[in-house]
Amino acid sequence: MTFKFLYDFSILTQAIDKAITGSMSPFWAMITEMTIIGVLILAFYAVVGLYLVYAERKVCAFMQNRVGPNRVGPWGFFQTIADLIKLLMKELIPIKAADKLLFNIAPFIVIIAGFMAIAAVPFAKGLHAVDFNIGVFYVMAVSSIGVIGILLAGWSSNNKYSLIGAMRSGAQIVSYELSVGMSLITIVILAGSMQLSTIVEGQHDLWFIFKGHVPAIIAFIVFLIAGTAETNRGPFDLAEAESELTAGFHVEYSGIKFAFFFLAEYMNMFIVASIAATVFLGGWMPFHIPGLEGFNHVMDYIPPFLWYFVKTAFVIFLMMWFKWTFPRLRIDQLLTLEWKYLLPINLFNILLMALMVLMGWYF
Amino acid sequence: MNAIIALSALAILTMFFGVIQKKSVLLPLILSGLIIVFFLNVIEWGTFKHYYNEMFIADNFNIAFTAALILTTFLVFIFSALYYRTVKRPLEDIYALMLFSLIGGITMASFGNITMLFIGIETLSISFYILAGSKKFDVASNEAALKYFLTGTFATGFLLFGMALIYGVSGSFNLQAINSYIIANKESIPTLFYAGMILVFVGMAFKIAAVPFHFWAPDVYTGSPTLITAFMSTIGKVASIAAFYRLISITFLNVHDFSVDILMLFAIATIIVGNLSAMTQDNMKRMLAYSGISNSGYLLFAIIAMGPKSAGTLLYFSISYAIATITAFAVIMLVREERGTFSLQDYKGLAKQNPVEAFAMAVAMMSLAGIPPLAGFMAKYNIFSVAMNGGYVWLVIVGVIGSMISVFYYFKPIIYMYFHRADAHKKIETTKAYKIHILLVSILLIILGFLPGLVIGLL
Amino acid sequence: MLSKYIFYFLSSVAIYAALMVLISKKPIHSVLYLTLAFFAIAGHYILLNAQFLAVVHIIVYAGAIMVLFLFTVMLLNLNIEGEFPKKNIIKFAAVIVGGLILITLIGTFRTYDLEIIKNPTLNQIGLVKNLGKVLFKEYLLPFELCSILFLAAMVGAVMLGKKDIQ
Repeated sequence: MTFKFLYDFSILTQAIDKAITGSMSPFWAMITEMTIIGVLILAFYAVVGLYLVYAERKVCAFMQNRVGPNRVGPWGFFQTIADLIKLLMKELIPIKAADKLLFNIAPFIVIIAGFMAIAAVPFAKGLHAVDFNIGVFYVMAVSSIGVIGILLAGWSSNNKYSLIGAMRSGAQIVSYELSVGMSLITIVILAGSMQLSTIVEGQHDLWFIFKGHVPAIIAFIVFLIAGTAETNRGPFDLAEAESELTAGFHVEYSGIKFAFFFLAEYMNMFIVASIAATVFLGGWMPFHIPGLEGFNHVMDYIPPFLWYFVKTAFVIFLMMWFKWTFPRLRIDQLLTLEWKYLLPINLFNILLMALMVLMGWYF
Repeated sequence: MNAIIALSALAILTMFFGVIQKKSVLLPLILSGLIIVFFLNVIEWGTFKHYYNEMFIADNFNIAFTAALILTTFLVFIFSALYYRTVKRPLEDIYALMLFSLIGGITMASFGNITMLFIGIETLSISFYILAGSKKFDVASNEAALKYFLTGTFATGFLLFGMALIYGVSGSFNLQAINSYIIANKESIPTLFYAGMILVFVGMAFKIAAVPFHFWAPDVYTGSPTLITAFMSTIGKVASIAAFYRLISITFLNVHDFSVDILMLFAIATIIVGNLSAMTQDNMKRMLAYSGISNSGYLLFAIIAMGPKSAGTLLYFSISYAIATITAFAVIMLVREERGTFSLQDYKGLAKQNPVEAFAMAVAMMSLAGIPPLAGFMAKYNIFSVAMNGGYVWLVIVGVIGSMISVFYYFKPIIYMYFHRADAHKKIETTKAYKIHILLVSILLIILGFLPGLVIGLL
Repeated sequence: MLSKYIFYFLSSVAIYAALMVLISKKPIHSVLYLTLAFFAIAGHYILLNAQFLAVVHIIVYAGAIMVLFLFTVMLLNLNIEGEFPKKNIIKFAAVIVGGLILITLIGTFRTYDLEIIKNPTLNQIGLVKNLGKVLFKEYLLPFELCSILFLAAMVGAVMLGKKDIQ
């Protein structure tokens, strides 16, 4: 079958690897491979970011009974590309009283955090840049770096609004990181591994959200809430509350630097969604039900990467739905929600899951 | 081991009193809890058990020092009733932190593994940092907490780095395993190991406030709330010296020649600087802080000499030091409540107006100075004889000179109390119970002076 | 071969960043350089095949502690350029003491070599499975006592943060 690589990308990647290592010294082969992967991920990052912006505008329009972008290309398909070109052309306004070094570094820190996180996501079978044995943990760690960029951006702009926005965002991300981590740990207990590839393999008979029934569903809901908060989105976007802070931490940024923040926000959403899809919904693993051989076989005909993207898109859609449905929270409500509700629920949920795994009460 | 578990449970129980707001029940509960913990601890006497891969070793040394720590905490808790009597809320947080630091102290007295030592030190210190700042609206208290915290963490850094080097060389955190490494490689121990030892010594010297790592002590002891000062200067010192002794007697005994030089330096400097600085103080708390520093010097004698009677003498010295210090602080608390400062001037004519308190203070001071029938004298005498038996004559000479200097400043408050006329000071009103407590503790000090063999013979 | 280059690269980054923490005039730059130093050290952990420790290092230091540092620096508005004046003699003494420690440590490290330094990947202890086993078997008691340590710290934070005490 000519399209066999669609089902197992390791055939393709191994062929490329063989070609490269065969033609140069190991040192240079490694450098070349690293560069290729880097460029690919960067390109992916940019494209996905752009199209998420487009998707958000369409979803938002749909929720508000509007049409949304519809002029550039069919259904406004090239709208965000036009926007990007506009942003690239814009003047980069230097701020006189800003801390130049930090002001310029901040967007890159945010971008790098997202870039590092996305490298660990398994897109399809064999399509996986780095496969740490602590994958889940790694994604949490590197995505927590982004907050440094946000704080620095807010502080170095030397602007009250941006400082308040950065503070809010910092408090929010640091708090909600706990819930994100703990809800993932709940599933790690069930999976018995933190390696993302093993976690996906472990769902070959049934996805974890079904396998772990009650605690897994609780963990999924908590993860969605906390993940939305961690990306400064949805009802939790007080870091950039337009009506109060004009735009929060990136109010002084213009042109391409602003675009970086904008892109990073959507990329973080994509990362959260793909982690949710990978850990809870089986990643690229097709939907299988134990016992139904025929059904499982039919499902296997749908290529893994399609499964992955559909699931991720579903979670992204959920997150957009939140944003355009719920009103924004106050900062005290935000912190109360985390520390008084989500965290205790989460801790209890971990205990429940541990008990369940010990007793074997899962499918 | 059971003592630590019971103590943790007690501390957590204490915190629940913040929810139900019953102040009158809390203190009796803690005191009776401490008695139970004391017995749980003493039961294990002579069993030589060890728990969890030799993390926690219940030998007689540990049990004796744990008992001393619990006794000291018990006394401090008794006097806390007066110190906090105006506070309406149950003070569950302060009491819980005191119990937590006691847990740290017990861990330090009974570790069988360097990681446990580190965790013990940290539990003790972190509780102390917070307790030092527990008078939140007092600038001096804030300063004390911050100063203690910054210098303390710095010292912890040294300690940890030293531990890492020792681990790197010997490949183990276990005290016995490190000792066997030393015995096996007696000739070829790399210098890295010695560097690690020095760093550990620096960290430990900081914790017992030995010169030249004593700078934090006067400010911290002066700034902290007086009750907490009494607690820190006793529990902190006893636990740290026990940990230091344990570390050296089990692990570094076979490289003791190397340790002796450094420890001698510490001891001599501590005695000279501590005593000379104490002479010039007018603030009672500050004077006792320097007295605490100089006492660290004497305690180091037992570690330097490492004779058969070292452990027992160390225990006896620690107990007599702790009881005398707490007695002194109990009186200081009272005087400060009524007269507003810690100045020596406030003690003028105290003997006429408050004979019981003045008597207790005099006993405490004389014991610390080392006047014959009291515990302090026997403690100093024994520790000097241990050093003498070890052949450290010069050390003993320095110790005796230091002792002589100390008589000068310890007698200052006694002179003020007994031979000065009270200017405008009124009699200090206090409860009968408090008087009895103070009297009992000072009598304990006298009794202890007649029975040194009983304590020293334990170990 | 490659790991050797990476080692030297990471080490020089770490040393440079650590120096810049001390040298840079603005506190916030120091914090940022400290983050960089932590990342370089996390890289060392990965070189030693201790991925779990590397990630914990990033989460705890770069993710949590550095954010707290940034918060503190921002809330206190510590944007004072230049240091507080220090006496020259103190600077001189500090240089001598620090230099002596440096010389001693370099001297002791130079004479010492371990198998692990020559062959850094033979160690499997940093992998999460082995680490967990060690932590929950051998080091169970210290692990549990750590909870008391953290509880004490937490009680203290609440105590100092509460409003109502006199």
